Order: sequence, then structure tokens, then C-alpha cells
Amino acid sequence: MKISFPNFMAWLIGALLALTTVAARADAGDMKLEVQLIWATNDKADPNPKHKPIAPEIREKLNQLPLKWANYFEVNKVTLDIPKGESRKAKLSDKCEVEIKNLDGGKVEVALLGKGDPVWKRVQSLPNGDVLILGGNAPNASAWLVAVKRIK
Amino acid sequence: MTEEQQLKLQAFLDGELPEDETREIISLITRDEEAKALHAELKNTRRAIKSSEANVRLPEPREFFWSKIEREIQKLEPVVESKPSVSFFDQLRRLLVPMSAAAVVVIAGFIAYQQMLPVHSTETEMAMADSSAFTYHDYSAGMTLVWLPFPAENDLAQNSAPATIQ
Repeated sequence: MKISFPNFMAWLIGALLALTTVAARADAGDMKLEVQLIWATNDKADPNPKHKPIAPEIREKLNQLPLKWANYFEVNKVTLDIPKGESRKAKLSDKCEVEIKNLDGGKVEVALLGKGDPVWKRVQSLPNGDVLILGGNAPNASAWLVAVKRIK
Repeated sequence: MTEEQQLKLQAFLDGELPEDETREIISLITRDEEAKALHAELKNTRRAIKSSEANVRLPEPREFFWSKIEREIQKLEPVVESKPSVSFFDQLRRLLVPMSAAAVVVIAGFIAYQQMLPVHSTETEMAMADSSAFTYHDYSAGMTLVWLPFPAENDLAQNSAPATIQ
């Protein structure tokens, strides 16, 4: 079948428009985040049997940070699917909650809630695969960490 | 005299008869008066036509004469070349199609480039409880660490429902 140049160009434009639309839709798509509450300690064993060792991927990330703790244990993990422009809450413990809003341009607004009240808020870019870690000191030379990883 | 004999007599005068039929016709002319009279009449008519025929000669060769006629015909009916008329819309489309394709390629490339770029440029921080939070960025690893001055009330490991923030 012979295809004329105008027909070929029409098909090419159509295909490129479709690709552009798909790319634009992908950019404007939902966001999937993995939120973990992590306990950092120098103790080798975790006295709480409900805690699990953290995933090697997150462990590797934490090792690259200037943190002094030797061991990290996963207290709780929540996965959030957040449509663009909307926000979702992740209840990580009785007193710790994180609210994340999917903003335009791949940005997120992360709010840390203590006992239901917002105590800290931050807006930052979170490209796919990036991790935002919030942390603070805890008794007995330990620390709490909240790792927010964008997985989509 | 039959019609066939009349036709044969005419062919005899034209010299178109075979030898045996020629003899037969000559014999017929000598013995039949009607055939003889017809022969004489045809002969006279033939002579009269020959003598009155105008001896016209063309001033130029036959081929040249017909080629002149052909040229005159071509002059009267000029060959119209079928040149398709191109409308303004077609011309515009011919111009716009490649330009649109190029524009789409550029736009698609720009979007793809934008998607590949790490977006770390604009960051804002709002500390609602305490502004003394420490922030550490590791762009190569894609990590941001924010250390907050909020102490945990209880040891996480000692509680089934751990409390991390007071």
C-alpha cells in the first residue's frame, strides 16, 4: 500500500499528539507514597516483637545520611494513593500522623500532626523515587523517623 | 442475359476475368446481340469518363500537403496541458503540515525533558511549632532529611501503640 506524504505526516502528527497527551496525563497523574514510622536505636535487638527490620532499600538510604544509629526498625507502614490536588492522612501511631497533599508540579505538602494537631508543615518537590525523612530525638539515645517515599 | 453475365462483362472490360471466363464472355459477345450492345455501351461510357477526367496535380508532395492540414488542425485545437490548480488551502496545508510536525516534536521533546529533570529548585519550609528544624539534602541520592526538635514522649519499643510526638 502506497502512503502519500500528507497522509504520512498526518499519521505522524497524530502519533506525536497521542504521545504528548499520554505524557501530559502521566505528569498530571496520581501520586503513590509509602510512609513509614521507623525507630532508630543502637540496640541490636528490638524489644517490641511487632516491630520489623526495615526494608534493605530504605536501610541503604538511611546509611547515606549523617545519622548515628546502627539499627532501624519499622514500627508501621502505610501506602497512600493521592490524586492530584487532594490530600491523604497516614496514621502511623496513636500520636503520630502525617498528612500529605499532592500539589502541582510533583510537589507535596507534608504536615506532621501530633495528637491530631499540625506541628510542622513543609512544601517540597518529591520526584518519583525520592525520599523525605523527618526525624527527631527520642529517649534512651534513640530516635523516631518518618520516611516518605514516592513510589509513583 | 443474366445479371451474373452482365457483371462478368463489366469485369472483362476492367481486365479482371480469368482466361477461361474471358473466352466465354468473348463468345457471348459474338453470338448475343444484347451482350454485344451492353459491351459497346460500357466501352463508350468508360472512354467518355476517361477523356473528361481533369488531370489535376498537387503543387506539393502528398505527405507535405497532409502535414500542412495536420498543422492547421493543431493550431485550431491547442493541446491544453492539464495542470491541476492548487488552492490556497492546499498551499497552506503543505506549509503547515511539516511545520506542525516540527512543532509537535519540539513540544513532545520539551515535555519529556521536563519530566526527566529533577525538580529540586523550589522548596519552602514552614515550621509551625518551631523554626529550628535542621534540613539536609542529598540530591544525588534523592533524599531530604529534616530533623525536628520535637522530643518523643515514650520509647517506641516499649509501647504497643507507640507515641512519637508530644
